[in-house]
Order: sequence, then C-alpha cells, then structure tokens
Amino acid sequence: MRYHRWFTPWVLVIPALTWLLVFNLWPSINTVILSFTNAKPIGGGTFVGLKNFEALLHDEQLRWALLNSVIYMVVCLPFLTILPLLLAVLVEKKLPGITFFRTAFYTPVVASAVVVALIWQWILDDRGLVNGLAEKLGVISGPLPFLSDQWLLLFSAISLTIWKGLGYYMIIYLAALGNVGRELHEAAAVDGASAYRRFVHITIPGVRGTMILISILISVSALRVFSELFILSGGKGGPGGRDNSVVMLIQQYSQGFEGNLGYASALSIVLFFVTVVPMLLLARMNRKAADA
Amino acid sequence: MRSRRLTGVAALAVAALTLAGCGLGSSDDTSSGSKPTVDANAQVTGEVSFQTWALKPKFTTYVEGVIKAFEAKYPGTKVTWLDQPGDGYDKKVLSQASAGQLPDVVNLPPDFALPLAKQSMLLDVGAADPKIAEEYVEGGVQAYQYQGQTGTFGYPWYLNTDIDYWNATKFAAVGLDAKNPPKTFDELLAAAKVMHDKSGGKEYMMSRLPGIGDLTNAGVKVLSDDGKTFTFNTPEAEALLDKYAAAYKAGYLPRDILTQQYLGNSKLFTQNKVAWTTGGGNALGDFVKDNPSLKGKVVPSPALDTPPLYVQGLSVSAKTKNQAAAIALARFVTNAENQAAFAKIVNIFPSTKASATDPYFSKSDGTPESDAKVLAFESLAKAKVLQPPVISGATNDFINQQISLAISGKVTSKQALDAAVAKANQLLAS
Repeated sequence: MRYHRWFTPWVLVIPALTWLLVFNLWPSINTVILSFTNAKPIGGGTFVGLKNFEALLHDEQLRWALLNSVIYMVVCLPFLTILPLLLAVLVEKKLPGITFFRTAFYTPVVASAVVVALIWQWILDDRGLVNGLAEKLGVISGPLPFLSDQWLLLFSAISLTIWKGLGYYMIIYLAALGNVGRELHEAAAVDGASAYRRFVHITIPGVRGTMILISILISVSALRVFSELFILSGGKGGPGGRDNSVVMLIQQYSQGFEGNLGYASALSIVLFFVTVVPMLLLARMNRKAADA
Repeated sequence: MRSRRLTGVAALAVAALTLAGCGLGSSDDTSSGSKPTVDANAQVTGEVSFQTWALKPKFTTYVEGVIKAFEAKYPGTKVTWLDQPGDGYDKKVLSQASAGQLPDVVNLPPDFALPLAKQSMLLDVGAADPKIAEEYVEGGVQAYQYQGQTGTFGYPWYLNTDIDYWNATKFAAVGLDAKNPPKTFDELLAAAKVMHDKSGGKEYMMSRLPGIGDLTNAGVKVLSDDGKTFTFNTPEAEALLDKYAAAYKAGYLPRDILTQQYLGNSKLFTQNKVAWTTGGGNALGDFVKDNPSLKGKVVPSPALDTPPLYVQGLSVSAKTKNQAAAIALARFVTNAENQAAFAKIVNIFPSTKASATDPYFSKSDGTPESDAKVLAFESLAKAKVLQPPVISGATNDFINQQISLAISGKVTSKQALDAAVAKANQLLAS
C-alpha cells in the first residue's frame, strides 16, 4: 500500500508534464503574447494591441496562402483517405511477392521530404523529365510550366504530398484492417455479396474510426504544408508569392535580424484556428454518423 | 467515445504544434551605449575574442599568422579565434546578439551590422578611431554608416564588385561581337532580341529578374533621406519593369525566372545556356574550371552601369570588456598589409586606400583572368552599395515577388511597385 500514495501518479507524469509546460504550453502562451507586440528577434518589442491582426485583414499574401491551404486540404483529403485504404486492401492479401509492393508503396515515406521535393523539381522543370519526354513524344510543343505557373505549381505540390503520403496511411489502414472480422467477409461472401458490397458495408464501417483519424491528420498536415511548396517554389512561394502556405509566411516573416515576430505570431494564431475548425467539423460528422 | 478521445488528442497536438512552432521569445533590450570609452591610443592588452565567417580550414594558416603577429605586436594580448560555418551564420550571430554574447570583434556584412547598430550593440569605431575615414576607401566606410544612425559601425575588411562576362561563341553565332558588347541596359535588351530572333528562340542572352539594385542603377531613389520611407514607386522604376515585362513577353528571358528558383544567371552562363552574366573579378577562373569548354571564349567588360559594391567588415561589440584590444585587433586585421596578403590568397580586394597603388591589383599580366581582375579592381573606384541594408528578409522577398508579378504581366508595373512600397513601409515601421 505504501507504493500507492496520492502523489504517485503525479510523480510519474511530472517528466512529461514538465516537457509539455516548457516546450509546448509556454511557447504557445508566448506566441499569443507576441502577437500583440511588434517584437523583433533582437531588442524586444512593445504592445501594439490588435495592429497585427488588423494588418492580417488586408494582407493579400495571407489570402492567397489561406486559399492554397484550403485547396491543399480539399484535394488531399479524399485522395489520401480513400487511395491508401484501397492500397491496403490490395496488399493485405497474402500473395507471393506482395511484400515487394508493400515496401515499394512505403518507400516514399522513408525518403526525406526535401530530397523527394528536389527530385520532383528536376522531374517537373521546363527541361525536366516530364517535359522532355512529352516533347520527344510530340504530346506537347513547348514545356508545361509546372514550376512557374501559380496553379500548376500548387497542384504539382499536392501530387507530391499525395504520392508521399500514400504509403504512410496505407500502413495505418493495414493495422486497422487486421481488426475487421474475417468471418464477416466470409459470411457476406456466402450470402452472395460482391467484393464491392463487402468493401462498402464491411471494410469501410470496420475502419471508420481509423478513417476519421486519418482525415484529421491529413487536414492538419495539409493546412500546415511547408516542405513541398517551399522546395518546389524555390523557397519564394512561386510567381508573385502566390504559392505560399501560411507556414511559409510565418517562416518568411520571422526570419532574419529584422524578423517581425509579432506579425508571425499573429499568423500562427490564424493558422491555429484555421486548423482546428475542419478538425472539429470532421469529429462532429463522425459523431453524427456514429449516433445515426 | 474512441473517436472523441482521438479528436481530443489530435486537438491538443495541433494546438501545441501550431502555436509552439512560433514560440519565439523576445530578447533583452540592450541599452549599453555604442560610443567607445577609449581611443585608438589606449593601452592594448588582455584577452579578446575574434569571430570570422567560414575561413576554416582554407585560410587557417593566414588567420593564425595574423593573430600571432597581433599578439607579438601587443605583448600581453591573447586572441581567441572562433570561426563559424558558412551556412546559418545570420542565425548564429542573431542568437549571440540575443543572448548578449557577441564576440569582441566579429565579421559582419553591413546588412547584419545595421540591426545590431540600431540596438546599440556595436561600437562606433569611427569615434574611437577618426583615421578610419582617411585610411579606408569611402564606399567601404560608408557601408557601415547608416541613415538614421550616427557613427561608423565597422572597419571595412575586404571588397568585391561585379563586372560583365560575355560568351563570344554565342555572340558570334548570332552575328554579334563580344569584343564590342552592350554598354547600356537598352543595348543589352536589343542584343537579347537579336539572340532570340536569330536563334529561333532557342538561345537566351540572360536569365534574371531586376531587383532593387537595378532600380538604383536606373536612377530611382529607393529610400528617403531620413531612411524612414521607401520611395521606389517612381515612373523611372515603372519604365524599367515595363521593359523587362516586354522582353519576357517576347520570349527574350526564360520563363523560369518568375519562380526565382531558376539556376542563377552565372550558373547558366557556366553551363553555356546564357550569353551574359555578371561576376566578380575572379569569376572567369571559376567559369573555366567548371566548364573547360569556355576557355578562351569569355570576354570581360566593365559593368553596364554603376557596379555593385560588396563589403565585408569587422565590427566591435559594444559589450566588449576590452575595447582597446578589440579596436586594435579590428584595425590590425584590416590594415593594408594584412588585407593585401589576404587578397593574394583569395580573390578579394583590399578596402584600404594604400592598396590602390599595389601593382598586383592594378597591373594585368596579360591573361584574360588577370585582365578581369584589373577591370574589377578599377571598377571598385565607382562601385556603390546599390541595395540599402535596411532591406532584408521578408521585405526583399515581397519586393521580388511583386516585380515577378509585374514581369509576368499579371499586374501592371505601377500596381506592383505601389504594393511593394506599401508593404516595405509597413515592415519598416513595424
């Protein structure tokens, strides 16, 4: 009994709690405080009230960044929720050589985001693989501006994210599929249900919780996208800076000796709310579906 | 219930990661004065730290030799040398400044020194050493004198500038003569048109977007006299952007320049993909080393307009506990003798007036490389810092983005310049 004193649980959680307070909670509070100041990396700053937030309202760069983030999420969400599930169903089968495919699908996940984005940059460049091949085959007369057109660049980055994310979410689905009762599939097959009907009525409900989790993870990472757009746009946010994401803007404003930490903090708060809203919506949809 | 828990966990993770990602603290406000308390004649003794930027291991012997000579000249002094890697030097200096731990003598280019000078973190070396204006070239000293700040916040260490390089083979292929290259921007555009038209659109003269330096060269006043507002949205600036936009539309510039990730003009020049680039006095050697097929095919000439002046300098921390030794060290490292010795092992030019007569820099041995070096050295006399150091980071990015929009034709030059000035002023005032 002497090992079960009231403070024992607290002693156990103190290391994690300390970590959270020092590296998460305090920086979060600090960000909120900084957003009401004109702080610079050196020399501190003064309280400026809502000035940073007023400036955000008129910031055209932010409008483009938010639009990009929303497009990123809207496109990535269905692709990265459904395609990995289909892949997982395919590679779940115990067939000869299936391990090769599992590994192949997972390889992009292991590769560094920066390396992958650089390779894609070479592939999509005006003199890159895609344009070179297409021109040689006579499909196009001049190179397609994958990296110098605002929208083509955005969708190139989205394609990269989807390609790189497939394997990761496939592994999560594979684990979830293991929990879907095989007997249900067998019973449905005996009753004459087609593979499609078994997928829709057994597999999907069986992994619904995982799908919601994956949807939330995808939404959050799509709204906070950085590496893909940063590398493909050469770190400058594409033509006219219209391919920036909110995180890229935060990085741009906070860097250097004259970094505007107050404004960057205000951007972080905007990003926080933008990220939380779709997540709560997804959770609400899930609750409604579960209650129905 | 399971999904609710998952949502809760995810919400916490998002909150923490999103906000903590920007959890940047403000630093202590340095209020120590930037005026020195000693003069150049004060007794020099004791310990002093000296920070350089990416000089190890290539120039270790040189720097150690200079330090040894300093310690011999001033018995009782001890120099601790720190060399920081090339990448992330700005972040390193920033963290040192925030923590109040700047080394006594530190290598800072003018744009790094300005924010530190604004916060009184650097010593006004001009006040301690009035001879600075007499012994160093005017442009080098002026680079460390800022609008709105009184004083000189660094000893100019070494200088560089750009000259033009032309690919004679590409010129000849379209009937142009590289020995008689364009001398103005308008002539450059005319030559770009010839190159495009006569090569069937396959060859480019250049691959670059204009920047603030080009606006300065076009006679545009970039910053007001008091340094508090940007003023580069003028009809002259519009005219320059319009010319670039027209050239871009006509196909004289590669499309990729808009994303600013396109390989630098000089890299493309090395790869034989453009016929013109700018580069330092030593660039010719690099072109040929990287692409031997360019040997004998590159013709140097003076820059089209006012050449840019690139300056490196040594500043002294206002918090140094040994002002006399720090000032003496900065002066010693940057004196004519040490700079000339440095300039002979690396392709830079000394910032001391005494070096102007050194035949090593002013007389060519007849090789194209030497011709280029002399050309660059002569250009230094009229070179100027074309981009005010107050423009940095986000401001520069935004200006370039607006210029890129104007060149692509998505907005007019006036709209782009007005937007750039408005944003630059907002960032300057904040």
